[in-house]
Amino acid sequence: ALLPYVPRVPPVPLLGKLTATTFTLERPRGVFARLANASDTVWLVVALANASDTFRNPLSRDAVPPYEQLPTAHAYMTLETAVAAYACSAPSPAVLRVGGDTACGGHGGRDPCNGPLPSPGPYRVKFLVMGCHGPKAETKWSDPILLRTAGSPSTIDPRPGRRGSDTVVMVALLASLGAALVVAAIGTVGAQVWGSLCCRDSGSGTFTRRSYRTHHIPPALPRTLPPGCRCSPPGLGCFVPQPPTPCPAK
Amino acid sequence: MAKSDDGIRILQGLLVFGNVVIGMCGIALTAECIFFVSDPHGLYPLLEATENDDIYAAAWIGIFVGFALFALSILGIVGVIKSNRTLLLVYIILMLITYAFEMASCITAATHRDFITPNLFLKQMLERYQKTETDNNNDIRMTERVTDTWDKLMLQNQCCGVRGPSDWQEYTSAFRSTHSDADFPWPRNCCVLDARGSPVNLDGCKLGVQGYYNSNGCYDAISGPMNTHAWGVAWFGFAILCWTFCVLLGTMFYWSRIEY
Repeated sequence: ALLPYVPRVPPVPLLGKLTATTFTLERPRGVFARLANASDTVWLVVALANASDTFRNPLSRDAVPPYEQLPTAHAYMTLETAVAAYACSAPSPAVLRVGGDTACGGHGGRDPCNGPLPSPGPYRVKFLVMGCHGPKAETKWSDPILLRTAGSPSTIDPRPGRRGSDTVVMVALLASLGAALVVAAIGTVGAQVWGSLCCRDSGSGTFTRRSYRTHHIPPALPRTLPPGCRCSPPGLGCFVPQPPTPCPAK
Repeated sequence: MAKSDDGIRILQGLLVFGNVVIGMCGIALTAECIFFVSDPHGLYPLLEATENDDIYAAAWIGIFVGFALFALSILGIVGVIKSNRTLLLVYIILMLITYAFEMASCITAATHRDFITPNLFLKQMLERYQKTETDNNNDIRMTERVTDTWDKLMLQNQCCGVRGPSDWQEYTSAFRSTHSDADFPWPRNCCVLDARGSPVNLDGCKLGVQGYYNSNGCYDAISGPMNTHAWGVAWFGFAILCWTFCVLLGTMFYWSRIEY
């Protein structure tokens, strides 16, 4: 009997519903209740999409293609489950994960193995109800399910796209400040050297650092300076408040 | 003459004030750079493995430049107050050298910050996380540190991958070569873990059910501190340099006006 149910990948956004070796299916609830007895089992047939048309349902449980035959038979059957697990009221997860068992396979046993899928597919699946005497009912084939293919990390380009504009501004400003400082330093030193080479007298803008002592004939008067005539507050150098003549005696 | 005295005294006062600010900024720069070099977020192994850790070199230079600025500012204050030509000349020369170093630090920090992109860390994570075949001892050490850093990062920030867990699905990786895709669509640390470190719901995590895995990427947790680091060194240094530029010009003018 052909059931009108179409298996599908759940539409909810689950990041892990399609990986490189596994995929997830919506759990069919109450789809098999009408036809199946309690002793029947529901299998999942997984076939490569181009081999789904040539798949023939196995006539007994012994003829079920196991997981290990997938490369040669292009199809296998797995997830042997009692019909009761697909009843409407069964408390079970809402999805079935195909390919999630990494511990089985390769033992040569006849137990159904839900091993990881070896290639990205695409695959088509259908549910098959098997009774004691062979297949009893099946669902329709699903749409082709294509698994993920991972790229190589060498394709990632770590270089930045373009230089940030604030970096350019900062570098330009710093370079110009640095250049201006160097020019100012050279200019200052150069002006000093040029000044000392050609012009011997001190300019009107300069200030003297020490008191301006006269070197000509010392006056006959005692050299006590009146209170009005003395150095400016210490630390500032001695500035001459008056022309360089000795203070007149009172 | 009195006006010229006042002018000179104002200039001296400004230069002393300028040097005080430089001294304080120097200490602040040293403290800030020591903070960055101490790597409070534990992200240095990621940068080291990219072989592009120049923002750390910029921070190291910043430590010494800050201290030099502080010392030179004291020299400057003494030289300005005493109006000593020799002291001020030494101050100007040493300040120019320090200026050059700080310029190098700022430019390095700013330009190398541009290299911090998601792809850089994505490529490194895919190639190094849990890598088992390594070439030499240095490589082994670096790989271990990258792995430990990522494990800690994913645990503490509840994140996975650089942009999200899909990074592990979109690309093959060193992790993928040792952990099967069916059992580990993404590393275990991407799952929500309980107090003992085991996943709350392993099947839910493998399927990508909300609440059982970390769906956001770690790039914000990586780039946030690194950007703060780089911009902190670069822009604060730039501000100090602008101020120092003015103070140095003033000092050069003051020096040219002192007469022996």
